[in-house]
Amino acid sequence: MSRGFRSRLLGAGVVALALTATACGGSSSSSGGSNGTQGSGTLSTLTIANAVKVDTLDPEANSVNESIWLDQNLYSRLLQPNPTGTGLLPDLATSWTISNKGLTYTFHLRPNAEFANGMPLTASDVVYSIQRSRAYKGGWGFLLTPVKTITAPDAHTVVITLSQPHAPLLADLAMYAYSVVPEKLVKAQGAAFFTHPIGSGPFMVTSYNPDTEVDLARNPHFYGIRPKISKVKILIVPNDNTRVLELESKKVDVIENPPGNLVSEINKTPNLHVQLFPSTRVDFIQLDEHYAPLKKLAVRQALNYAINRNAIVQLAYQGHAVPGSSFMPYRMEYWDSSIKPYPYDPAKAKQLLAQAGYPHGFTTFLITVSGDVAGQAEAVVIKQELAAVGITVNIQSYELTTAYSKEDGGHSQMGERYWTNDIIDPDEVATFGADCQGGANAFSSYWCDTPTINAVNQARSELNSATRQQLYDQVQQAVYTQSPFMVVDYSPYRYGVGDWVHGFHATPLGNYDLSLETLTVSSH
Amino acid sequence: MSRFGSLPRRLVHVAIVLLGITLVTFFLLRLIPGDPALAILGSSYTHARAQAIDSGLGLNRPIWSQYGLFMNHLFHGSLGFSYFYHESATRVILNHIPPTLFLIAYSAVLAALISLPIGFFAGLRRGRAVDQFSRVFFTLSFAMPAFWLGIIFILIFSVHLPVFPISGFGSGLIGHLYYLFLPALTIALSFSTVLVRSLRTSTITTLRAEFVDTAQMKGIAWSQVLRRHVFRNAVLAVVAVYGVNLAYLISGTVLVENVFSLPGLGTLLVNSVTDRDYPVVQGVTLVFAVLIVTINLLTDVVQAALDPRVGQEIGT
Repeated sequence: MSRGFRSRLLGAGVVALALTATACGGSSSSSGGSNGTQGSGTLSTLTIANAVKVDTLDPEANSVNESIWLDQNLYSRLLQPNPTGTGLLPDLATSWTISNKGLTYTFHLRPNAEFANGMPLTASDVVYSIQRSRAYKGGWGFLLTPVKTITAPDAHTVVITLSQPHAPLLADLAMYAYSVVPEKLVKAQGAAFFTHPIGSGPFMVTSYNPDTEVDLARNPHFYGIRPKISKVKILIVPNDNTRVLELESKKVDVIENPPGNLVSEINKTPNLHVQLFPSTRVDFIQLDEHYAPLKKLAVRQALNYAINRNAIVQLAYQGHAVPGSSFMPYRMEYWDSSIKPYPYDPAKAKQLLAQAGYPHGFTTFLITVSGDVAGQAEAVVIKQELAAVGITVNIQSYELTTAYSKEDGGHSQMGERYWTNDIIDPDEVATFGADCQGGANAFSSYWCDTPTINAVNQARSELNSATRQQLYDQVQQAVYTQSPFMVVDYSPYRYGVGDWVHGFHATPLGNYDLSLETLTVSSH
Repeated sequence: MSRFGSLPRRLVHVAIVLLGITLVTFFLLRLIPGDPALAILGSSYTHARAQAIDSGLGLNRPIWSQYGLFMNHLFHGSLGFSYFYHESATRVILNHIPPTLFLIAYSAVLAALISLPIGFFAGLRRGRAVDQFSRVFFTLSFAMPAFWLGIIFILIFSVHLPVFPISGFGSGLIGHLYYLFLPALTIALSFSTVLVRSLRTSTITTLRAEFVDTAQMKGIAWSQVLRRHVFRNAVLAVVAVYGVNLAYLISGTVLVENVFSLPGLGTLLVNSVTDRDYPVVQGVTLVFAVLIVTINLLTDVVQAALDPRVGQEIGT
């Protein structure tokens, strides 16, 4: 495991040297790929290099972020999140009404919506798609538990009735899992459909090789803004250094997730820069209450005072992250801006430890994911700072899924984890992180607080947004003061982008489909 | 009497080895902490969702019945259904075989082209410039890890002198030869070290053999002696080394596939272990096992073909 880690650093060293050489030498060899031109000085193709292969293009079964972001270009949903991830925009539904005390939702579909093959998109396709994703085993059906019926009274109207008010419903329906697929074709072709899917998004698939390359072309039947580029190529380049070299040689225009230690080198290279987009990612340290010291509130608070979040942000993210306060993603809807990060105060930490009966500290372990460079840096800082207040931390590194399984099940002590939203409504993160009965044991902390659980449940069925704000403030305050886990930082999405790309943008959920509708690529 | 008389017995051994490998892989995999549901759900894991996934994948059955089902499928030519790719594991694996097989064959040929002349020459001109230079060069290339050498090649031949592509497999035979040249060269250079060293040593030993003197005294031209007697005998020792190291080379493809973004079996294996995609891991391990067992068997057969004395020993 340490071998893989070392190998990356060594390779990164070589690439860093190469980039520096280019930066000093000025001009770099330019070999424009096979990119057709259109108009004066603009190109028609955008090439993106992703780090991870595509798992599937079937929205009900997607589990890989990169595949989900790819999907969003192919399908549309009733509604979609806005570019800042703080509200919803119409998509297939141009308007909707909520009646019967929040128990009936009526969606009016745009009459001109068509699939990429010219087939009309009707309300029955929407009903079929939602029902299909709801029924998928282990999928996202649990979000729609209060949904009683989904019907299509006519070709352009969808009616959803609920058994109880459900505030996150619109946000749930804007989620990738509830993308609309053509009922007739999916029923006829089954799984094979998703190797050459036909949706109603801005682009359609022209070639599908999930391990190497997926090619998209502009969908001529798209009802929205006609994208300025006509083709998108998604390349799969798993090796971090190779991805950076692809960008440097201008064979690709945008690369996902360049390694953190190369960010400043890329920025120094002429014509290249790293763009950071606020994400819904929250890095936190799981604290398992089954371990006696962590069951004590004073100990959990002491831990929060003992760590220096600024130092972690510097070392792990070269300053490109925000120290964490609320457990909800940074600046999302209902995020409580009045909560400030715990200050770094080792003296107070020692005092709290003594108060809890651990004047000389205790010994614990911290689970990390091997190969996660930022996570290792974070762990080293935490180990050092907790040692200063008398707590001995043994770092245990495991491969990703092994680390998750060690953290689950109540036999853990401390573990590095992170959260990202799938919907823009706080209901999801609150249920997973603050409700020990919500299925995820409050991020495996096993912290149970009845007022907080009640507030999470009440907020779910509360339609008044002011009241919801109060409830979510209460939940965030409780998590902050009781600290069932330690919120460390909010880290952004990183993309390496050529200066010749104008207007690339990822939303906090990671989607970039809206920006692909408007961006342009100059010749380079 | 046939040189290959004991081949059937060897084949029975092969079958037993492969059966053992299915057992070991199947149960070892399930001993790794974390299951497919956890790999799929990650941080949005809940017990209820995991149970739904397990029942969908048949992972809630008793483990022996799962093994029985796997073997039953195997005898019907199926490796099961990939949890991650949502299609037949056999098809997933078949799609990933060509790049790896092509890469192995290409590197093996390149390695032979590089090392046979150099090793033979270094043996003939022992201690001279060619010998010294090849020794230093190949020691260095052997010491350079494949992921590092690969990046250096990309830097030189793809970024600064853009003559070769950075990544990909290409299409058609010419396309594959072009796209895979740098990855194959990366593997071939470290592979060549062992071959050059052993060919050099065996050439020196063979030159001292009495039959070489005899051949010379019979008045056969020196070039003929070298070709018919020295080279042929010296190469024989290298064949065994070649075979053993070819098996080793298969495991070396994993890193090179990653650097050059090749969708091969090595990458598939590593990803599938991370994803806990049991059917694919079982299938790829089996393919690798078959490949290595076949190479070992072929090495023995080739040796027997080259040297009649070896034939008696196959299978013992």
